[in-house]
Amino acid sequence: MWEVIKSVLAAFFGVQKERQRQHDFQHGKPGAFIAVGIVMAAVLVMLVAAVAIMAAR
Amino acid sequence: MRKTLAWIMGAGSFLGLASSTLANGWNMPAGVTDVSREIYSLHMTIFWICVVIGIVVFGVMFYSLFRYRRSRGAKSANFHENTSVEVVWTAVPLLILVGMALPATATLKRMYDASEADLDVMVTGQQWRWHYEYLGENVSFTSSLSTPRSQINGEEEKGENYLLDVDQPLVLPVGRKVRFLMTSDDVIHSWWVPDLAVKQDSIPGFVNENWVRIEEPGIYRGQCAELCGKDHAFMPVVVRALEGDEFDSWLAERRKEAEAEASGVDREWSMDELMERGEQVYGAICATCHQPDGSGAEPTFPALAGNEALLNDRDRHIDVVLNGVSGTPMAAFRSNLNPVELAAVITYERNAWGNESGDVVQPSEIQALLEQ
Amino acid sequence: MASNLPPKPTLEHSTTTSGGLAHEHHERPRGMLRWLLTTNHKEIGTLYLIFSLTMFFIGGIFALVVRAELFQPGLQLVQPEFFNQMTTMHGLIMVFGAVMPAFVGLANWMVPLQVGAPDMALPRLNNFSFWLLPVAFTLLLSTLLMPGGGPNFGWTFYAPLSTTYAPPSTTFFILSLHMAGISSILGAINIIATILNLRAPGMRLMDMPLFVWTWLITAFLLIAVMPILAGVITMMLMDINFGTSFFNAAGGGDPVLFQHLFWFFGHPEVYIMILPAFGIVSAIIPTFARKPLFGYASMVYATASIAILSFLVWAHHMFVVGLPLVAELFFMFTTMLIAVPTGVKVFNWIATLFQGSITFETAMLFALAFVVLFSIGGFSGLMLAIAPADFQYHDTYFVVAHFHYVLVPGAIFAIMAGVYYWLPKWTGHYPDERLGRWHFWMSVIGVNLTFFPMHFSGLAGMPRRIPDYALQFADFNMVSSVGALMFGVSQLLFVWGVIKCVRGGEKAPAKAWEGAEDLEWSVPSPAPLHTFDTPPDFKPVTH
Ligand code: HEM
Ligand SMILES: [Cu+2]
Repeated sequence: MWEVIKSVLAAFFGVQKERQRQHDFQHGKPGAFIAVGIVMAAVLVMLVAAVAIMAAR
Repeated sequence: MRKTLAWIMGAGSFLGLASSTLANGWNMPAGVTDVSREIYSLHMTIFWICVVIGIVVFGVMFYSLFRYRRSRGAKSANFHENTSVEVVWTAVPLLILVGMALPATATLKRMYDASEADLDVMVTGQQWRWHYEYLGENVSFTSSLSTPRSQINGEEEKGENYLLDVDQPLVLPVGRKVRFLMTSDDVIHSWWVPDLAVKQDSIPGFVNENWVRIEEPGIYRGQCAELCGKDHAFMPVVVRALEGDEFDSWLAERRKEAEAEASGVDREWSMDELMERGEQVYGAICATCHQPDGSGAEPTFPALAGNEALLNDRDRHIDVVLNGVSGTPMAAFRSNLNPVELAAVITYERNAWGNESGDVVQPSEIQALLEQ
Repeated sequence: MASNLPPKPTLEHSTTTSGGLAHEHHERPRGMLRWLLTTNHKEIGTLYLIFSLTMFFIGGIFALVVRAELFQPGLQLVQPEFFNQMTTMHGLIMVFGAVMPAFVGLANWMVPLQVGAPDMALPRLNNFSFWLLPVAFTLLLSTLLMPGGGPNFGWTFYAPLSTTYAPPSTTFFILSLHMAGISSILGAINIIATILNLRAPGMRLMDMPLFVWTWLITAFLLIAVMPILAGVITMMLMDINFGTSFFNAAGGGDPVLFQHLFWFFGHPEVYIMILPAFGIVSAIIPTFARKPLFGYASMVYATASIAILSFLVWAHHMFVVGLPLVAELFFMFTTMLIAVPTGVKVFNWIATLFQGSITFETAMLFALAFVVLFSIGGFSGLMLAIAPADFQYHDTYFVVAHFHYVLVPGAIFAIMAGVYYWLPKWTGHYPDERLGRWHFWMSVIGVNLTFFPMHFSGLAGMPRRIPDYALQFADFNMVSSVGALMFGVSQLLFVWGVIKCVRGGEKAPAKAWEGAEDLEWSVPSPAPLHTFDTPPDFKPVTH
């Protein structure tokens, strides 16, 4: 699971080692990546919103 | 390639030269308020950041284009990945942006703090002029373009403040915090004066806030910034900033005039008086749509000259001017014009351009209707 | 640079691996009917491209009317009513009629060829999506002749200017936009179905060329946001014709709601117009640098990030409508974030050039100009993202400069680069390089003359969408108008070059460019009507 999160984080940041990517694409389950990706997108939105709310105070 | 470089440098120095000779009017004005200067410095900071990034990035690019030309015998390498480089060039822009976000956030918070104002001014956008009301002072007026049509149409030389002049500027005090309450009677407009760094949409059904504390007396010019129909280009904003005591006496003067006008409601007006006053009001308010000669612009703006339906129904005419026609551009003028102006303009419309109804509408009659 | 182009690959060292069997399955209609009824992806692609070029010229003529009026202060040629119709129609036609259909046309031609598919997955639907467009735009153009004139409220058609205060023809405008929207959605479904189902055996998603990738993501964006556009114009329709008050404050409606809905569609829309361009440039630069694309995976990831973020930034178009402070901050932060993956793309292209073996064919020239000039648009985007500063920039010519830099030398240069790049595949002939270079240099100079001064006039205080302006803006406007004329005229060279290339020219082999790798270069040039009837043998190149 941590592996998947790490890879999704790397994708959000936009940089990943080719070897790791090959590994993910050979062994990972796409469903897991998609699910984690959606959750992380939601987390990102909440994070930015939280920063905005704090900054506005 | 070398030729191209020479060209680019030539063009660069030309631009530099041109910008120094034409110095003014190429950049955002720093303006005359604290906020406007903060915005200006944000603008210049982000601009220079972009310039530096641009020089580095395009520098590498043009170096590569020059150095690795096939015609110079370049053989291509085969790398296509480098994680650390990629991490750096993602992280560095991210950090720069965080650095930019901090001061921007601080400025934004100041701009949003409209509390503790010394004076409230209601700004109402109307197709195609601005209405100003000094809240609690019983002073209000409409401000519209004063550049003559003949200048716009090129029949006369264009004046110095072409398109940036109005009949009555908004007068504001220097050194006091003025809060604007912005709204609109019809479509969305946007009240903008670059030197004050105030740009705020005026939206029907909403009241937006903004504020300004002007530091130097002077005349500041701007324009409507949001497309609002045909005469969007012709509704400038002019602000005249006066020292505090000058402003106070100006305001007192205007208050007295308003009181005098209010007392005019009770007396009987003659046809000639009403026609004269009505022509003024018509020219400032109604003529943009219904045309100076009352011919209108079908199908959107009906003609008033020779409009039988209107001439035969005096009550409807009064109703339309007071309450507007919903679903059309015809606005309700009951709160924008005073009873004298309303009576005068209706009388004028019923008797000008060959309309010979002979009707006189008295201010007192309008006053009675408004009070219903 | 002119004389230094490399020798073209010779005809013999390019045997075709597969496909190219031009056998006819059945009797085909001829003449007009052939084009009306065609279900062939190449023919439909051609139709899209011709349609787009036509719209490009019509929209261009409207722009020249605008620029002619703005050549000098004062009203000379047109009245404000007509001027507003010209700006509005120019924007609508260019966005929905020129740029979007051009990308769909390129997708029609190239996606099946690049994934090794015999055709699009849904050929009849394909025909229908195309033919909706000429109907929609004929209708849209005809509104100019209706009483009260055509749309005059800007391509963003903010209510209530576009509802209560709109000309009677607005209902037709809504209908035509509905049709264009349906066409886009159907086209997007078709592209997704093709990419996901018809790839050559052995081609995994991460083996796909970037043009295919960017189009896959674009297609999802289209399906996500076109219904929102449809919704918002339907609400307008109801306000205008059925007495509702969605956007009418007098009836309790909310004009700001319109803007939220519009930009929730509109911001992804601007990325719809640029992502496929990224794909094209990512094909061309490696080809002429003779070096694999740097950071293929990051390119895919950056495209996906941009797509996701593009749903979170819409209100940066609304910084001055009076949003609450928290909202301003949120949208400022997300907008700054989206600039990062955009920057990463530029860095990747430049790293691809680094240590390559570079030649400057016309396609490459346009792709390189894209990188530079698109970045300039990105820089002004970054400036606009600073919310407090946007209070000064908003609704001025500075914004006009920004989006024209990303759309003209951005999207449109990429489209032209793509055309020069793939013309040998389409026609079997190389485009005339000399003509191409003339077209390129005239366009680059014209574009910069037109749009660079707009930064200055905007900063100096000139609002957008005005038919007449104060005297201090006169010089900038005069330069812009001259540049616009030059840019417009030089597009005739483009048409000439394309026609010339269709009719003849130096013969191109299957692999027309030495450094080109993707599957389309394995079928003969010109590509026969039917390709990849049997799936090709795909060997992944290491990206
Ligand atoms: C670095 C990335 C970008 C950033 C940060 C950015 C930011 C912005 C901002 C803040 C505005 C609103 C300005 C205003 O109205 O005051 C804007 C307007 C616009 N942008 Fe961008 N932008 C970026 C890239 C793009 C791209 C790639 C495109 C399309 C290809 C694009 C097309 C537009 C358009 C069409 C408008 C104006 C729409 C209108 O009001 O008519 N931008 N951009
Ligand atoms: Cu946007």
